[in-house]
Amino acid sequence: MGDFFQLNDLVMQFGGLTAVKDFSIELQAGELVGLIGPNGAGKTTVFNMITGFLTPTSGQVRWQGEEITGFPVHKVTAQGIARTFQNIRLFTDLTVLENVMISFHQRIRTFFWEAMLGFPTYRREEKRIRESAMAFLQELGLAHLAKEKAGGLAYGQQRRLEIARALATRPKLLLLDEPAAGMNPQETNELAVLVRELRDKYALTIFLIEHDMKFVMGLCERIKVLDYGITIAEGTPAEIQSNQAVIKAYLGEPK
Amino acid sequence: MTGTILFQQLINGISLGSLYGLVAIGYTMVYGILRLINFAHGDLLMFAAYTAIYLIGIFTLPWQISFPLAMVITGLMGIVLDRCAYRPLRDAPRISLLISAIGASFLLENLAIVIIGGIPKGFPRPPMFDHVITILGVRVQVLTLYTPVITIVLLLGLLYIVYRTKVGKAMRAASKDFEATRLMGINLDRVIAITFFLGSFLAAAGGIMWAMKYPQVNPFMGVFPGLKAFIAAVLGGIGNIVGAVIGGFLLGLGEIMIVAFFPEVSQYKDAFAFVILILVLLFRPTGIMGEPMIDKT
Amino acid sequence: MSKERRNLLLNIMGILVLFVILYLFNEYGTDYQIRILNNMAVFITLAVSYNLVNGICGILHLGPNAFITIGAYTSALLTMSAAEKQMTYIIVPLVWPLNVLHTPFVVSLLLGGLMAAVFAFAISFPVFRVRGDYLAIVTLGFGEVIRVLANALQGVTNGPLGLKGLVPYTNLWWSWGVAVLTIIAITKLINSSYGRAMKSIREDEIAARAMGIDPFKHLLMAFLISAFFCGVAGGLLAHLITTISPTLFTFFLTFNLLIIIVVGGLGSTTGAVIGAALFAWGGEALRIVERPTDLGFLKIPGIPGMRMVIFSIILMLVIIFARRGIMGRSEFSWDWLLSKLGWKEKGF
Ligand SMILES: Nc1ncnc2c1ncn2[C@@H]1O[C@H](COP(=O)(O)OP(=O)(O)OP(=O)(O)O)[C@@H](O)[C@H]1O
Ligand SMILES: [Mg+2]
Repeated sequence: MGDFFQLNDLVMQFGGLTAVKDFSIELQAGELVGLIGPNGAGKTTVFNMITGFLTPTSGQVRWQGEEITGFPVHKVTAQGIARTFQNIRLFTDLTVLENVMISFHQRIRTFFWEAMLGFPTYRREEKRIRESAMAFLQELGLAHLAKEKAGGLAYGQQRRLEIARALATRPKLLLLDEPAAGMNPQETNELAVLVRELRDKYALTIFLIEHDMKFVMGLCERIKVLDYGITIAEGTPAEIQSNQAVIKAYLGEPK
Repeated sequence: MTGTILFQQLINGISLGSLYGLVAIGYTMVYGILRLINFAHGDLLMFAAYTAIYLIGIFTLPWQISFPLAMVITGLMGIVLDRCAYRPLRDAPRISLLISAIGASFLLENLAIVIIGGIPKGFPRPPMFDHVITILGVRVQVLTLYTPVITIVLLLGLLYIVYRTKVGKAMRAASKDFEATRLMGINLDRVIAITFFLGSFLAAAGGIMWAMKYPQVNPFMGVFPGLKAFIAAVLGGIGNIVGAVIGGFLLGLGEIMIVAFFPEVSQYKDAFAFVILILVLLFRPTGIMGEPMIDKT
Repeated sequence: MSKERRNLLLNIMGILVLFVILYLFNEYGTDYQIRILNNMAVFITLAVSYNLVNGICGILHLGPNAFITIGAYTSALLTMSAAEKQMTYIIVPLVWPLNVLHTPFVVSLLLGGLMAAVFAFAISFPVFRVRGDYLAIVTLGFGEVIRVLANALQGVTNGPLGLKGLVPYTNLWWSWGVAVLTIIAITKLINSSYGRAMKSIREDEIAARAMGIDPFKHLLMAFLISAFFCGVAGGLLAHLITTISPTLFTFFLTFNLLIIIVVGGLGSTTGAVIGAALFAWGGEALRIVERPTDLGFLKIPGIPGMRMVIFSIILMLVIIFARRGIMGRSEFSWDWLLSKLGWKEKGF
């Protein structure tokens, strides 16, 4: 299965700034791969190119043997690629349950007029969506909050809801953008366990960005390092930890 | 069409366009900083025209004093508008700000009806602007010639303020990155107030010249010039002052020329600007001089 | 009995009570009261469908007056008889086939709605290319374009003269029947998965896209449905006031709708209904300020324009100091009402 997911020489330029340069990677189904690098290195930009928020200046995104570069975002999601956001983007004024139910909408089979006329076909589908959404909340330990407004959740819970919502789109590839940001060490540990569990249970391939080195090194099987948009290293956690270029990139930057 | 008529229409177009341009500057400056279409901006034309009428009529001031004074008063009115309708909503959702702007616009128009009445008033055009001279065989009212000149002079003055003074620098910083400017400790409310003053001051000049050109003043006189000036600002590239004036010239010329060349569409004249707006947004949303807007995820 | 069945029953009872009240007014009410009730129903239909776009999808669309115009003219042209049309179109004759078409009132309403939706579809591409203030101004522009066309296309609209002497088909049954149907249909839509998708676009369009929602498709859906009901309401309006002309459908009308949904609470159908009812009643009541009043010992001159001043001030006060309006984004529910009344859950 060499053609599960590939990025070929992605380049992203914003005016004069080259945010990402010649980024390539190949993911095998079931892998758990990390993407790290200092602030502004271009990590989120890579995710944005994969999910269609940005159209790469050049290069290709290939998914299951087909090119999906420049697809509209919702079509990329429909293909089975889901993401979370670094700066949490929940539907704050909707309930936790509704947040997850929205992810089921792309697969809805009844038409809007069936909903407007209150057809039983629609009511059955709504019930099924509600139950499945509850199951995902259960999975992430958020079921007791189902009726709360998403905006009212604690920080760590919001991060988990982001994951629940992405999972509910039924992806094969899950992109996590700094899932542990703002979490305390205990929450971070729980998250690592959870991510592994989810991968096994849903047969996911996971590509994640994270600044917390302990988290990344403990979790990922393979890591890629970006600095100023350029790939400066890739390899197993052990290889990355001893890589001179990586150490320089991180130490060269204050903080 | 003969050359003289074409020349005549060219002059008319430039004159109308310069008025659009003057008003467009206010839209573009406010949009640049607050990302708000100041709906009530057009109504300041009306406000300025009435103010000038009363300064001349009641206080019997000569026009040389009353016109500039009306411009200053309108500038202050712009500050009041910001203070009452927009400043309380700085951190509110954008939709609220725009609704407040629409409310302010209706309030000004209807206050004018209540206070002054809906019947159009004549505007006392100073005789100096009445002269008709003949250039290249075309008879032109001098007002038509003064208008673009005054516009350019005011534009140069404004550019001086924006590019050569401290407050201008703060304005430009605020329109680049509002939050960062706030963090740098610049008093943004003051910068915004000055922006409103300048934009309204120029709109007043436009309003007074408009009133001299079509010497009738009524509570709704600012609505269409306002909308069209906004379109001119978009055409020129919103946020760009020179672009606003260029957009104004182009729109004014376009409107006059369309009617000149195709008299049969003259009843659709008022729709022309909107068609331009839609075409610009479809094919070049950044306008002629604008920079691309960045949409961050 | 399940909660669902109980609510259904209460809904049906509520509607029955409403129609009994309407019956009483129809029999014993004054013309003035009946007119207010008719206005109320039309404004409810308009506000609820306008709220679908502005409150639920969270975009500021300023062109419902275009949809209302199209509905009103379409419906009026379809109910006028050929002879009436010939007499009305004295300057430019009405174009074929409009000059011979004649349909029953209900068909004319549906076609009015349909034409409005067709127009909405035609403009949807440029409208939804942009967002925010730009979308507002583009929709406002289309509203103006329709007004210009209504004035200019004399062979269709009879220009500034407008259409006069329409049959006053709109009575309490029609106006409230449509209002109730609109409320039911739009509420069901809002509470459905489609409605959730629309709300997700309002909350965060970027996240919505990432969850597989196609914004264009859902905004378009809301836009078309809203246009349809606005068009139907336009037809009702035409046959209520029996005289229509382009001056009736200016941005003023849109402004009134905006006030209604803002005061009611952007995003709440209940709020839209309450806002519309208040507006229809308050708007009439406020006419006093514009009419000269003679109290016998004191003569107060009417102040033209005062009503709009008051409305503008209300709008601004609400948006600045009470942004959530009357209802916020909450909706009326029987559960809420019953619990207020001290009803015990175990009753069922
Ligand atoms: N839409 C955009 N337009 C212009 N520049 C952008 C855009 N998105 C990102 N950039 C720039 O590209 C560079 C890379 O940004 P990116 O968000 O990908 O970094 P990152 O590695 O995710 O950083 P962080 O760890 O802080 O999240 C930055 O300099 C950023 O300012
Ligand atoms: Mg990032």
